[in-house]
Amino acid sequence: MNENVEHKQKIGAVLVAGAGIGGMQAALDLANAGFGVYLVEEKSAIGGRMAQLDKTFPTNDCSMCTISPRLVDVDKHPNVQILTNSEIVGIDGEAGHFRARILKHPRYVDMEKCNACGDCFEVCPVEVPNEFDEGLRPRKAIHKLYPQAIPNKAVIEKAGVSPCKAACPAHIHVQGYLALSRKGKYKEALNLIRKDCALPSVCGRVCVRFCEEKCTRAQVDQAIAINDVKWFLSEQVVDSEPLEIGPAKNRKIAVVGAGPAGLSCGYFLALQGYDVTIFEKDAEPGGVLRYGIPEYRLPKAILKRDIDYIRRCGVEIRCSTALGKDWTLQGLREQGHEAIFLGVGCSDGAKLGILSEDTPGVIQGVDFLRETAQGEIIELGKTVLVIGGGNVAVDVARTAVRLGVEAVHMVCLEDRDEMPAHVEEIREAETEGVIVHNCWGPFEFVPGESGVGVKGACFNKCVCVFDDDGRFNPSFDDQCSMGMEADTVILAIGQRVDPELAGPLGTIERIRGNSISVDPITYATSEVGIFAAGDVATGPRTVIQALAAGKEAAESIRRFLEGEDLREGRETQRQVADPDVEGVVPALRRVKKEVPAEQRKRNFQETVVGFDEDAVKAETERCLNCGVCSECLECVRVCQPKAICHDELPEEITLDVGSVILIPGFDTFQAKIKSEYGYGRIANVLTSMEFERLLSASGPTEGEVLRPSDGGHPEKIAWIQCVGSRDVTCNRDYCSSVCCMYATKEAIIAREHDSRVQPTIFYNDIRAFGKGFEFYYENASTNVGVRYLRGIVSTIKEEQRTKNLLVSFRGEDGTMTSESFDMVVLSVGLEPSQSARKLADRCGIDLNRFGFAETKEFTPNQTGRAGIFVAGVFEAPMDIPESLMGAASAAALSGELLSEARNTLVRGNAFAEERDVSGEDPRIGVFVCHCGSNIARIVNVREVAEYAMTLPNVVHGEHNLFTCSTDTTVAIADKIREKGINRLVVASCSPRTHEPLFRDVCREAGINKYLFEMANIRDQCSWVHQKEPEPATEKAKDLIRMAVSRAARLEQIREHSFPVVPRGLVIGGGIGGMTAVLSLADQGFEAVLIEREARLGGAALNLRRSLTGLDVSAFVEGLRNRVISHPRIKVLMDSEIKDHSGHVGRFSVKVRNRHSGEESGLEVGAVIVATGGQEYEPTEYLRGRSDKVWTQTELERYLYDEPGRMELVKNVVMIQCVGSREPENLYCSRVCCGTAIKNALALKERDASINVYVLFRDMRTYGFKELHYRKAREAGVIFLRYDRELKPVVEEVGVGLRVTVFDQILRGEVALPADRVVLSAAIRPHSETEALGAIMKIPRNDVGFFMEAHMKLRPLDFASEGIYLCGLAHGPKYIPETLAQARGAAARAATVLSKDVLQVSGEVSVVDPELCASCLTCVRVCPYNVPEIDPATNRAYIEPASCQGCGICASVCPRKAIKLQHHTDDQLLAKLEAL
Amino acid sequence: MDLNYYPGCSLHGTAHDYHVGILTVFRGLGVNLVELDDWNCCGASSAHVMHPEASRELPARNLLIASRSERPLLTPCAACFHRLRLCQSLFKKKPEDHRASVITKVEVIHINEMLMKEEVRKKIQEKIKVRLAGLKTVPYYGCLTVRPPQAMNNPHPEDPREMDSILNLLGADVVNWSYKTDCCGGNLAMTRPDIVRKLSGDLFEAAREAGGEVIVTDCPMCQANLDTRQKEIERERKTSFQMPVVYITELLAVAMGLPETRSWWRKHIVDPVPLLRSKGWAA
Repeated sequence: MNENVEHKQKIGAVLVAGAGIGGMQAALDLANAGFGVYLVEEKSAIGGRMAQLDKTFPTNDCSMCTISPRLVDVDKHPNVQILTNSEIVGIDGEAGHFRARILKHPRYVDMEKCNACGDCFEVCPVEVPNEFDEGLRPRKAIHKLYPQAIPNKAVIEKAGVSPCKAACPAHIHVQGYLALSRKGKYKEALNLIRKDCALPSVCGRVCVRFCEEKCTRAQVDQAIAINDVKWFLSEQVVDSEPLEIGPAKNRKIAVVGAGPAGLSCGYFLALQGYDVTIFEKDAEPGGVLRYGIPEYRLPKAILKRDIDYIRRCGVEIRCSTALGKDWTLQGLREQGHEAIFLGVGCSDGAKLGILSEDTPGVIQGVDFLRETAQGEIIELGKTVLVIGGGNVAVDVARTAVRLGVEAVHMVCLEDRDEMPAHVEEIREAETEGVIVHNCWGPFEFVPGESGVGVKGACFNKCVCVFDDDGRFNPSFDDQCSMGMEADTVILAIGQRVDPELAGPLGTIERIRGNSISVDPITYATSEVGIFAAGDVATGPRTVIQALAAGKEAAESIRRFLEGEDLREGRETQRQVADPDVEGVVPALRRVKKEVPAEQRKRNFQETVVGFDEDAVKAETERCLNCGVCSECLECVRVCQPKAICHDELPEEITLDVGSVILIPGFDTFQAKIKSEYGYGRIANVLTSMEFERLLSASGPTEGEVLRPSDGGHPEKIAWIQCVGSRDVTCNRDYCSSVCCMYATKEAIIAREHDSRVQPTIFYNDIRAFGKGFEFYYENASTNVGVRYLRGIVSTIKEEQRTKNLLVSFRGEDGTMTSESFDMVVLSVGLEPSQSARKLADRCGIDLNRFGFAETKEFTPNQTGRAGIFVAGVFEAPMDIPESLMGAASAAALSGELLSEARNTLVRGNAFAEERDVSGEDPRIGVFVCHCGSNIARIVNVREVAEYAMTLPNVVHGEHNLFTCSTDTTVAIADKIREKGINRLVVASCSPRTHEPLFRDVCREAGINKYLFEMANIRDQCSWVHQKEPEPATEKAKDLIRMAVSRAARLEQIREHSFPVVPRGLVIGGGIGGMTAVLSLADQGFEAVLIEREARLGGAALNLRRSLTGLDVSAFVEGLRNRVISHPRIKVLMDSEIKDHSGHVGRFSVKVRNRHSGEESGLEVGAVIVATGGQEYEPTEYLRGRSDKVWTQTELERYLYDEPGRMELVKNVVMIQCVGSREPENLYCSRVCCGTAIKNALALKERDASINVYVLFRDMRTYGFKELHYRKAREAGVIFLRYDRELKPVVEEVGVGLRVTVFDQILRGEVALPADRVVLSAAIRPHSETEALGAIMKIPRNDVGFFMEAHMKLRPLDFASEGIYLCGLAHGPKYIPETLAQARGAAARAATVLSKDVLQVSGEVSVVDPELCASCLTCVRVCPYNVPEIDPATNRAYIEPASCQGCGICASVCPRKAIKLQHHTDDQLLAKLEAL
Repeated sequence: MDLNYYPGCSLHGTAHDYHVGILTVFRGLGVNLVELDDWNCCGASSAHVMHPEASRELPARNLLIASRSERPLLTPCAACFHRLRLCQSLFKKKPEDHRASVITKVEVIHINEMLMKEEVRKKIQEKIKVRLAGLKTVPYYGCLTVRPPQAMNNPHPEDPREMDSILNLLGADVVNWSYKTDCCGGNLAMTRPDIVRKLSGDLFEAAREAGGEVIVTDCPMCQANLDTRQKEIERERKTSFQMPVVYITELLAVAMGLPETRSWWRKHIVDPVPLLRSKGWAA
């Protein structure tokens, strides 16, 4: 690629960022035109917002049904590479050769291996709101974005390490075991703990809970009682099996000390398969756990349970054998121990160094605890003084209480808040009678009177424990002292390493007295092969810290033995999750039951009672799933293809591309911002997107509209328009363009779902400006029963008993009204997606003040940076067809830029030569799929495969875990070749997703791709009969028998191909036609432009300025010059089409010159129809009777060309909707509102004293045109609304005119004096549209505009392939919209023209001329106008290149003369007969 | 912790009980209130409609006095708080006035904001002796402390949550209702009692529908209005609400088990004592 850059050769690949419906369009258009495409999507699946919608306006088609074939097209396209979970980081270079840096976020699932079987979804214990369902129902942390998601692979959502796990020194998967416990999976939960913690039972008792300190829940109420759950788990699963132990390594390791660090290190090494021996000096293992922590906190039986488990894992523990006495370190090495771990702890009590400390009655706390633990009886007397404020001091004090001491005093330096002991411990000690004295430091002990024992101690007031640097450095007030009497003084002020170990440890480096110096990451000591951790390295710390250190040391020892780097990758820290806690409902923490103090202080029984199952349930439910994925690893356990990889890291890649298309889509306005509507706190107030999901059959309620508060059926539903649109208070003063229509759609569909629904839409203006919208709106209000109320809703109040909503609104006449509704839907506006700002910044393009991409009117889709194009809602709020036009336009712009590099970076599949099987008997191979456990769990696949072998013609049958996996498909191809199989049957899932794959397998194996048949035993069998395995197995057999039966009758079909005429034709020379023809030519194709008139320019010749003030005449002139001078464009002026025939890739056109009458023939591969429109000539409002009544185009022309006509004009009244939105012309002309505002502003600019009145029905200034509307009002233009039924009246009064109109606010008639009345006349299709439509057999709608193939998804195509449309011929639109559509049409045409040959599908209808009676039935029914009567034979003929394979003709042909190949009657009957 | 304290006229007059309650509770929380020296009227009741200059200058003087120390100025009365914050926002737009920088610098803090401070919440948690479990409270904020949002700076002007949060902290049930910031008619207390009865009556209806037992407020005007007019409204609507209207600080005092509460309950017209006693709390 670098070479390309150096040679300045353009790169024939395009980066499309955003894989919504627009991104997919751009990707497919480019890929089909010979460019490589990288489709980069931030989400885990493509499809964007459209996939979320229920139906689409104005046709009410199912959104998912219309989009999903396109998803599959993108997925299967060899030239499109999909990169999900990816974002653009930066783009270097320039147009033609960019280098894009892409950050691929981890999916944590190997896409190659994952078969989307869904087993992992079931076991995942973490439920989070499903964003695809707008949070209305939960999904799992491992999931698919939606059932039809492409790529059809699982994905894990991680938000970072949960704070609890990050805080735990051992990084125990806390969130994971909480999640598993919540689901009652106690064994799995405990095993998860065991992956990181050698002593779960011990930790459950004594851990100091670093995790709980960081628990996010504490921000809401209190931390989760995490450790108590661990306690519970350790009680539930007492004798669990050891974790999986690695293969035996036969390498010996010695661990010195069976305290927590040593046990942990030994345990983790044993799990790896090493031979570990722990050498312990005491009689029993456990170290401080056994000899330091009192029984009432950690019963010996609990400790034994954990140690026994470690032994079961293979660790050998030898007790009563001490370093320095029984053996030396050197001796261990000589015995073959390849590494040594030192975990000898701190067993020696620290001393104060004050007077009389050696008095016999002054003893060490650690010694006292040890002796007590060993069952020795120690005489303490009646009063005990414990010196120290840490946990050991508390242990000592409470042990003393239990030994029957009457008065136990704790004296410490720290004040209450500074005490290192756990708050709970201190509290419990106090309830048991221990008296705590804070801020005292001893300076002397008083020996007993007769020299026996001790009498007491003297203390000074401690004023400060820590110095300014935070170091321990107490200072005392010598003036303030006290004495306390005691029979025994016990010191618990700290511990140190046993000084006697100094010798045996030899030359190992020491610090801070006698601690062993270790590397803080690797725990390596100064001697190679010797590691140390725990208290011996750090001084006294907590149990969990020792366990963690032991685990890390084990990892170091493993690396040491395997010769790996000790340090690599161990210092990196993952980002800690920080979830938002807003809206979390407080729920208080459960606490363990305490044994009453009086009862517990008499013995060493445990002082608290662990949680029961209910408490565990309650506590685990409180978990906020901070990290989303809890890393419980259940998915790893169940994933049969081993596709899960939790350690995946983000990866940055670079892509070399010639251009970039940004089409990142939109977010909806956050309804919470308009808090007067109560969204988020009032249950039955929803957003329109949520309502889409409620309507959707695949949504949370399966299409039933239910109230969130009570699941009831709402009847009165209100929609509130302009939530986050046309609103300066939230900085969104643009119109979102689509809400009026989608609210109308939702209202209609809601009523369709439930006829009791009474919809009301509160609106400001109804903006039904698109094709078919006005009819849709009219129908909704008059026939469907949607009530439209013009008014602004001020508040919504929730009625607490009914949860109904009291909506207060101000009607048009200014009165305030309240009305109760069952549900309110907020029609939230569109805004650029959250990442768009970042994206723009990284790509170096400008945004407008709302964050939309900045483009100019005459250069739509083009940013300030050459080679980077934009489309969709990123450019401006728009609906789906407009997004598609823009996307195709961006594709055309890329094609223009990169035409020289076309077909340089495309991939094709090369297949083996096909074997002719026509003479062979059927030899069928049947492959039955388990689909992981999706099918196999219900259907007995082995039995089914065996059954298949018994069927006629079947020569092979087998079953596979995943038939679609790469290795299996290779094996199938091998089997086909090996066994001479000539028909392939796969029994698995849906042909919708998998037929193309298996057809390719056939081709790879060298047989025709039509020799494949599929039986869907998943979607149609195992999924729907989950509870009936046996009948399901029988049904699977039936389905396979049917498939086999048809397969035997399958025939190979040769697909034929024909060469494409590499020339495009554009009909109509307006700005649309000129743009289209220029784009074709710039994309490298020859092109012909035909224009009826003598001048190029069309309707734009009447315009002078655009809405933003650009010079239209100059623009038209520029286009004309480029068209005329372009070497690849031939222009035929004064010409029209007389005849048209042929099919995609090869059309024959006859052109007639209107002057000379001369006719000429033309061969073209694709046709773009851009025949334009014209202004309606009104007859209303004195038009034609008074020369003071103008149209808007006249006004515009006079304003710029004949300003003299404007003199003395002081009052201008404009009347909107003249000839539009009338019953006989039920469509909106779309541009008139903008034009009126444009001209009104021009008038005001010319002379601010001119009074301009605009009489309108609804102002339809959608998108950013709303800003001009606002500007006009600010400039003093007066807008008055009238109803269709109450039109203004124009009269001649003297020399002027008078317009009378009913004012809606004053509720009375107003008479306006007018020097000129300006009519905003409708836009009609061009007068020749009808004739052309007939010649070309292309349909028109009821008002005469041409009809595209599909109003939503194919706005650029006719149903007949190879013919495209744009501009006013399609419907009224503004200049930028025409330009985008024209370029888009050129992009569509390029998908044909760029090919040398076109392949015709084999699934087409064929007429048997012998049988044909020429009855014309097929000619009449074909929706694509393909069949014709061949004049040569007088029989019907179906052109295979044009046939769409729908089969309608075949089904209606009375003589059965037509057969649809690959779907013949005998094939289908065979299936039925087999049933 | 020390705070300047601006009681305003009502806390020294009609809302004396609020004043005493605040002093008691803050003492219990270890917060020392220093009453603003020589404070004057905030200009709330009539100045802002009669005399714009006075409505600016009156609070300005108070703010100038407060600026002599660094301490935040605790302003419990909703009307005073409203005037002081508005005054600051006026001066923000008049940087040319030499007093502007001083006046805008004073931290005017509402009682709810104070109670929401992390350290105060911690302190409250420590001091709770009685959890108000089972008490169905209706948090009512009124209109003055949230509007206009630009000047008052409440993060949720349509749905303020401070008292909800504090009541949760005390263990009380907080009922959901949509009337938190609806007007009680306070400004028309004397001139148009008919409107007051309508507005306040609607509030009682909504509070009752929501299942509330007691209305909790932070505004002395709202408290007075709802408390004094309740009987009239009951008569007019031929119903009985019997719904005490208490200050947030009063419930704090109950939860903290402060015995002083007894000294001021009798100032309430609808006596809250029977309700509190029925829950088993000393009142």
